[in-house]
Amino acid sequence: MTLSDILYKILIQGGSYWTILKGLGATVQISLFSLLFGTILGAFVCMLRMSKITIFRFCATVYIVILRGSPVLMLLMLMYYGIFARSSLEANTIAIITFSLNVAAHVAELLRASINATDYGQIEAARTLGFGAFQAFRLVTLPQIITIAKPVYQSTVVNLIQWTSVVGYVSITDLTRVINNIASRTMQPMITIIIGMLIYLALAYIVHGLFALSDYIQARKEREAAA
Amino acid sequence: MRKILLALLLVMLCASISFSDSAKIGMLIPVGLDEAGVREWTEKIAELEGKSEIFTNENEIIFYENLTSMLMALQAGQIDRIALSSMPARYIAARNENLNYIDNHHNAIIGYSLAVPESKRAMLMGINLAIFDMKADGTLTRLMRKYMLELGTNDPEPVTMPVFHGEETLKIAVTGDLPAMDCILANGAPAGFNTAFLAELSKRIKKNFELVSISTGARESALTSGRVDMLFWTRSVYNDKGERMPFPLDNFTGVAISEPYLLDSRAALELKK
Repeated sequence: MTLSDILYKILIQGGSYWTILKGLGATVQISLFSLLFGTILGAFVCMLRMSKITIFRFCATVYIVILRGSPVLMLLMLMYYGIFARSSLEANTIAIITFSLNVAAHVAELLRASINATDYGQIEAARTLGFGAFQAFRLVTLPQIITIAKPVYQSTVVNLIQWTSVVGYVSITDLTRVINNIASRTMQPMITIIIGMLIYLALAYIVHGLFALSDYIQARKEREAAA
Repeated sequence: MRKILLALLLVMLCASISFSDSAKIGMLIPVGLDEAGVREWTEKIAELEGKSEIFTNENEIIFYENLTSMLMALQAGQIDRIALSSMPARYIAARNENLNYIDNHHNAIIGYSLAVPESKRAMLMGINLAIFDMKADGTLTRLMRKYMLELGTNDPEPVTMPVFHGEETLKIAVTGDLPAMDCILANGAPAGFNTAFLAELSKRIKKNFELVSISTGARESALTSGRVDMLFWTRSVYNDKGERMPFPLDNFTGVAISEPYLLDSRAALELKK
């Protein structure tokens, strides 16, 4: 069998490309929603982690330690086959909840490190100049947090896409599961997995591209403002 | 310091070299048995069959979560053989020019059954009766021929599940890891002998079946958590009189299993020399 025959069998025959696209769709859907909810929850956990109230700080620390220290596959199986076993929630929803919880722990620490890296004196200066607390945060601290956190956040997004490859354990047919099914059907595991890797790599580069684009837009805005 | 590092490197190198001449056998991860358990299991099988040509106690057993990783390990030379039952092994060998099918003409002793939680044992009565009927009227033999033995290098045809309005729907786990019994087509639809058997079973017991695709490694969790009502291809051992032996390959607890819908012999796959 020639390479083109093998590729035809893997990618085209019997509407295989459509199944791959559906798997890719599941991966992107779980990643996007988890990122959105995980970031919001992460900001909230970060707030608790930096709170002056000891019990809030303690709870947030315990949450971060547990969630960052446990494998996401174990958490996913615990949620799907344990905590939500008798619920009517769909597997995709449970996966989004699980990955959101996991991402939140990472985002919380990432935000805390970024906030700590900013100069508190600037806030004091802004307040002295008559800025309100929220105004000072929005106009002085937040832009700096975004700049500091961006490279690590980008890695978190790419990691999240890769972590979702375990959702086949909870009956979700994502990209990895589709690739495994194709490998079992065509008996061409090596080539099929290389194709799968290339698709994941393309996803990672789209993420890199989006972040690079946002950097470019930001730099242009700054140049225009300076001019 | 350099000497210590060199000595450490040497120790690590020695540790990584295996002096054993035992074969490495890959198999799909069973339920409730670890590697030592499988070695004991093979001993009992050898006793039952009165011979032990292929799987002996000296061999190293390595578990795999899915067929893809097991085939890759075989093709990369990390394992010497793959242990499967005859029909899936034939299917895989027919599609891989570089694989040899090893058949030592063992008796058909691996029985494939449906598994349900112990609390739903009553459900098995109707299923067992239907399986007996399918054996008696030749349906199972016909399905086996069509979906496995006479398949050649073609993919199995998809099967449409009958629908009975107002009847109970049972969720059943498929993995795609045991073709041509359990495989998933290019369009993502489950197919193969198991689904054909299930469609026939559905007609006979008048229940709807919904196929849920899960990983092989999550089969036990799926059943015990109630996420699925039934599992396919639960493997037990039968003697030549058709009696079930007390050493199943999938060693569940709290689970009841049906009569076997397929009996198959042990076989293996290896790379062509």
